[in-house]
Amino acid sequence: MTWSSRLARIHLSCAIALSLLPALGVRPDMAHAAESETFSNPAVTARLVSAEQGVAADSKSLSLGLDLDLGDGWKAYWRSPGEVGLPPSIDWSGSDNLASAEILWPAPERFTAFGIENFGYHDRVLLPIRATLATAGAPVRLRAQVSLLTCSDICVPQDFELTLDIPVGNGIDRSAADLITTFAGRVPSDPDPSIIDTLTAAFGPDREYLIVTATSAAPFQTPDVFPEFGELFTFGKPDIRLSGDRRSLWARLPVLAAGDEIDTISVTITDTGRAVTGAPRVLAETPPPPFRLVPQSTSAWQLLTYVLLAFVGGLILNAMPCVLPVLSIKLASVIKARDHSEKTIRGRFVVSALGVMVFMWVLSASVLALQWFGFNVGWGLQFQNPVFLTLLFLILAVFAANLFGIFEISLPSSLQTRLASAGARQGYAGDFATGAFAAILATPCSAPFLGTAVAFALTGRPIDILAIFSALGLGLALPYLAFAARPGLVQRLPRPGTWMTALKVGLGFLLALTAAWILWVLGGVSGFRTAGLVALLSLALVALLSVRGGHTMVRAGFVVLLFASPLVLVSALEPEPVSPVQTANWVVFDRREIPRLVSQGGIVFVDVTADWCLTCKANKALVLDREPVASLLQSEGLTAMRADWTRPNPEISRYLETHGRFGIPFNAVYGPGAPEGIVLSEILTASAIEDAVTKAGGRSVASSGK
Amino acid sequence: MKLDAFAGDQILDKNRRNTLLVVGAIGLGYAGLRGLPGLFPETLELEPMANPPGFRRYVAGETSGGFDPFVGLNMQEPAEAAAMRAAADLRVRENICATLYGGLDLTGSDVPMASFSDYYCPYCRVQTKRLADMVRSGDIGVSVAWHELPLLGESSNLAAKAALAAKRQGAYPEFHARLMRSPFRATLEYLETLARDTDVDGAQLVEDMNSPETSRELEDSAALARLFAFIGTPALVIGRTVVQGQVSDQMIRRIVELEREEGWSDICPAA
Repeated sequence: MTWSSRLARIHLSCAIALSLLPALGVRPDMAHAAESETFSNPAVTARLVSAEQGVAADSKSLSLGLDLDLGDGWKAYWRSPGEVGLPPSIDWSGSDNLASAEILWPAPERFTAFGIENFGYHDRVLLPIRATLATAGAPVRLRAQVSLLTCSDICVPQDFELTLDIPVGNGIDRSAADLITTFAGRVPSDPDPSIIDTLTAAFGPDREYLIVTATSAAPFQTPDVFPEFGELFTFGKPDIRLSGDRRSLWARLPVLAAGDEIDTISVTITDTGRAVTGAPRVLAETPPPPFRLVPQSTSAWQLLTYVLLAFVGGLILNAMPCVLPVLSIKLASVIKARDHSEKTIRGRFVVSALGVMVFMWVLSASVLALQWFGFNVGWGLQFQNPVFLTLLFLILAVFAANLFGIFEISLPSSLQTRLASAGARQGYAGDFATGAFAAILATPCSAPFLGTAVAFALTGRPIDILAIFSALGLGLALPYLAFAARPGLVQRLPRPGTWMTALKVGLGFLLALTAAWILWVLGGVSGFRTAGLVALLSLALVALLSVRGGHTMVRAGFVVLLFASPLVLVSALEPEPVSPVQTANWVVFDRREIPRLVSQGGIVFVDVTADWCLTCKANKALVLDREPVASLLQSEGLTAMRADWTRPNPEISRYLETHGRFGIPFNAVYGPGAPEGIVLSEILTASAIEDAVTKAGGRSVASSGK
Repeated sequence: MKLDAFAGDQILDKNRRNTLLVVGAIGLGYAGLRGLPGLFPETLELEPMANPPGFRRYVAGETSGGFDPFVGLNMQEPAEAAAMRAAADLRVRENICATLYGGLDLTGSDVPMASFSDYYCPYCRVQTKRLADMVRSGDIGVSVAWHELPLLGESSNLAAKAALAAKRQGAYPEFHARLMRSPFRATLEYLETLARDTDVDGAQLVEDMNSPETSRELEDSAALARLFAFIGTPALVIGRTVVQGQVSDQMIRRIVELEREEGWSDICPAA
């Protein structure tokens, strides 16, 4: 269905192109090339070509083309050039036997340079021209006065004349005809029910933005949207979203300039290998954004870059405070088993690595599943889920208690007997769990590497997601793999002794610390009363585990009950309402306020943070709350906004999305000098903030900073 | 046995070290290739100009040469316009500095700059804004004479006239900033709204737009563009150095420093 309709589309465009060549049945005649003299300078080499070498008897039309071969870095413009610029125009006065000539515009590309949006062409473009003759079958003299703006670093208007005489005769200039056919195939066609089912447009309140929607039988690949509402309207870069099956498109375009009256309405949608221009149905209400961000098409090179980033990011995660303890525990357990054979040690580390990988694959599978359902997934989002947090807290608390020696984890004796026969397998299961656990714990440590790779993965194709998560896992598993490759390293580990007990307690302490942090995050998400209850229940659980004896089944039942009850509790309890805290000098994030403040010449500093984001805490403690940034943020004309993403908040998610981010920390500075915002790196520095504020503000802050 | 294993480790270590060295070298080589052009600043290559004498041209690589000196779109013009053009050429040639840096104090420490831009040229917006920021920040000591060079048709012409007319009411900076900042199509209605917003007398503005003074100013700027053989916009003259196209801030600063050191008084003596 998909392919057949795409083929139908291709056939259609060919048909359009061929209809331009009325005399196609005629035998090719190599008599002379039907083209004008060439105008040439470093910016552009231009000529006028004709598919027909002669005007056939009774023929009333010609297929012409203005062939523009643009120099390296030079651009020419579309009929709607964007914010500024000038479309090519041709004055035909002085021509003989020409009734009319209509330029057909091939689908444009979008150029963004220094924040200015332009639409046009680069490299090579031929503007097909449909010419109608005044007298059928009579010779034609074409005199084209071409006005054309070309820009690279400099904008050079071109003004030149091309002439072409076409006598009476037959024959097709094959190379010109092929070129015209190629570019005529790129001219957007009229919407066809089999290609674009519906096309709508609606203005937002006060004409601040325009929403365009379209549905297509064939999935969209890399769509772009170019509305034309007459000369007085210009639009900014669209935020394009696609449905899960990629057949519905939704785009939001900021209105940069608007006229009072709308004289023409047309929307061009371009996509890989196809383009459509049509009059949209104008709606009174703007349709809501239903979908996630559209993936940009990714090249293999780009994918490789991200895979490398993910790998390095995964490797770095090993040194993160939330992963290091797990790695250490793993090593401790191997120390205990240092009398094992090299083969066993090797196997155990490989299994741990596998645990990491499997977790990553499970994660990518869930991301894919969520993507399929049209969810927008963010990194660290699991830390907004109270059930996940509670589960993590319980596991951590139990492990910590175990390390403190409060109890030994022992399986029911019957199971133990069964497992005893399997020997090492029990160990492998533990190793597997260690690996997976390390991976789970790594997730909140969103290092800069990770943010980039994950943001990419979440908007990517399934293969991107799988590749990136695998690379991430591989990086995280590298230490285990290193031990597996050279178990000799384990031999060099220190001999066991009393220091191991101390180490165990020390590690237990680290785990307890992590548990406490998770509990605090849970407090932020579900309220501190809930967190307190969870803490009490887990204490009871640990106490129960430490009590020896009693009926095994009854005890197991209680353990399960105590383990499950906090989970049920947090999912059942409504989170306590938490009003956004307005800390001194920080106002609560309000996205609509940003453009208003900026238009008044103000500067806005946005900080998106969450209780569970350790890097955000570090940024706050080390940079934001310290001099010189603290006083800079208090200065006149600067508004500091803080968005708290501890709990899910669609407004903040959407905001991050528009900046191409899916994780935090996120900081941006807006001002008259940077209305689109300057996004800062995830790890802040005072100088980066000062630079961004100066750049965003221009005069007002430069002087107050002095 | 134990010894063998140890020796094996050594060999392995050596192999690994070699691999690491190779990988590192490749990495460094790549980083070097990528980073090298950035380490060496753009070269400041200047070329003396035969006409007008005394001035010199910043050679920006690809964009220089090969173009016909530019005169703008729609060249067909009546004889009357041609005559006015010839008169403007003559007028400007006799008094280059006064026309180029009209209104600037050439005796002070500020390096004079003349900026030629068109409201419809995408890069002009960028460059004009950066120049304005440079002047405002005051840290490099420049002053700018703004020239309107409307090469891109009727709307661009209209916008240029409006800015010059606003200048007569002392609102040039506001008008200029607004025309450069906001995307627009210059129409009379738009300019009227703009006039209201910037407290400019609309009727006076329209009158001034069509005044001989405004025309003369545009003619002078166009004559300068012909004299310096500009191929397009944006274009700059800094002291006695002609810069065509959009260039980096650093390059502008370097040329400004050079001009400050060498001086421009032999070309443009303080009147």
